[in-house]
Amino acid sequence: MDGQAKPTRRSKVTSLQDAARLARGALEERPELCLGGLFKQSRPIALVRALLAVGADGLHVYSSPGAGFDIDLMIASGAVAQVFIPGVTLENRLCPNFRRAVEAGQVTAHALDALTVVGGLMASAHGVPFQPIDALRGSDVLKHNPLLREIDCPFSGRRIHAVGPIRPRVTFLHAQEADRWGNLRHLSTMVYADQLMARASDMVIASVDRIVPEEVVLDDPSRVTVPSHYVDAVVEVPYGAHPTASFPNYAMDEEHIDAYADLGDAARTGDGTGLDAYMARHVTGPKSQGDYIEAVGGTAHFARLEAEARNG
Amino acid sequence: MSAAVSPLEQMVVVLARDLADGELGAAGAAALVPMAAIALARELHAPNLTVGGEMFFNPETGRLYPSMLDDRALGRCEAAETFIELFGHSHHGLDFFFHSGLQHDAYGNINLHHVGGTLHAPKMRGPGAANLSYCHTSSRYYICPTVHSARNFVETVDFITIPGHLSGPAAKRDAGLVNEGPRLVVTPRAVMDFDDTTLRMRLKSVHPGNTTEEVQRHTGFDLAIRGEVPQTRPPTEEELRVLRERIDTSGALRA
Repeated sequence: MDGQAKPTRRSKVTSLQDAARLARGALEERPELCLGGLFKQSRPIALVRALLAVGADGLHVYSSPGAGFDIDLMIASGAVAQVFIPGVTLENRLCPNFRRAVEAGQVTAHALDALTVVGGLMASAHGVPFQPIDALRGSDVLKHNPLLREIDCPFSGRRIHAVGPIRPRVTFLHAQEADRWGNLRHLSTMVYADQLMARASDMVIASVDRIVPEEVVLDDPSRVTVPSHYVDAVVEVPYGAHPTASFPNYAMDEEHIDAYADLGDAARTGDGTGLDAYMARHVTGPKSQGDYIEAVGGTAHFARLEAEARNG
Repeated sequence: MSAAVSPLEQMVVVLARDLADGELGAAGAAALVPMAAIALARELHAPNLTVGGEMFFNPETGRLYPSMLDDRALGRCEAAETFIELFGHSHHGLDFFFHSGLQHDAYGNINLHHVGGTLHAPKMRGPGAANLSYCHTSSRYYICPTVHSARNFVETVDFITIPGHLSGPAAKRDAGLVNEGPRLVVTPRAVMDFDDTTLRMRLKSVHPGNTTEEVQRHTGFDLAIRGEVPQTRPPTEEELRVLRERIDTSGALRA
């Protein structure tokens, strides 16, 4: 075999813009997007902003059972038609654009629960037609949940619930590290459902705080949370989860989220100028993550969030 | 103790006293008061109480955070939970859990979805809720909103997100709710429990500094007050000292 070059393995590292275009193309086929992380932890915000910047609409958005800032930002951009997330809140306050759009009838927010969403993702990941659930009783959510069916348990004969597979066309994740093949390493305490979503979805695009040499992965394979097999593209984005946290690297930016929510509340009660300016400055304006970092307050601002992650 | 007891500190102490050694439970979404109560119980009388069911086992937090779903709060915990635990915990149940909402009604039902209008044409849309199972698969739960007014304590909620006792024993049985459900309602003003026969909420004790009449006036339904209502037992010196020195080191419960 002399002289024949060894074929090269394809790197999955791409740019934020190319990742956004890849996602937009897939979501035009089927608009089901799923977001990783939980509430203000490890949310793929840079990918969300990049998708909003290249343009998206009519999305059906899923997530782990709790979301806030990102879904509110997507609704503010007019990108969302239906929300399939059980809990939508900034935790210390309500999501202003979510409230406004649902109350105005512009967005449908389904009544769901954690078992339905996680169960649907489990059915998809496992390749089975449904996941049984036997722990939902007494809530009005059961009268409205569009994803549940009642079935007879084949063993006990009892009436129980079933949820069919939830198969996102695209899932966005944020992890702390990956190698160039797309092996993801979540280093934060809470990973929650990211591994499940990766295995349940048609396409997975991940942002990471840094790309690491493949030796880092090979030296400690048990730290890989999502094997590259499930990952289609990976983007190195410094502070790519901001204003949510990416532990142990940086803490959530509560002041930024609060300031955004104040602008959202002003828009909800009639004055949208501040929110429009926010969107121009943080979503449509920046040409790169470097521009975004400057718009937020520069490296000194992020040094503070890094220190807070280290010191608690 | 020099500084006066805050309403949230009074709530924490009442809840902590009701948690037992060896139990398994979690704080729920609005976690400041419940998490402090769990931590206080573990410090004072329940060293073998396991925190589990909400993304982590046994956090060792240096101070209180408004949300426990924050790695600053969880930087030190014994283990992280993932979706793998969700189905098991939700079906097997915990010993205790905590809930609060936009509206709470006379039977302890909780609304987090909408006030006014309908689900898909709401006057005011709330956040919804993630876990709807712990309220009835767990042995019991506590209702602990940090506001107590005639606006959030109403005769009937507009939407039952978290079932309490529904409309009483028959409805509860028909829905298959077999456990205790809500045991105590602990607010900044008072403690309520539920009538054994009707399962309607009633006033149990009033926190120091509040009167029975005030509590009733700030409640949108009849609290079944008959005769003298006892005062809530205030925190002991020991409870307050441990709470302030070892748990709420940043004074979040007094802010």
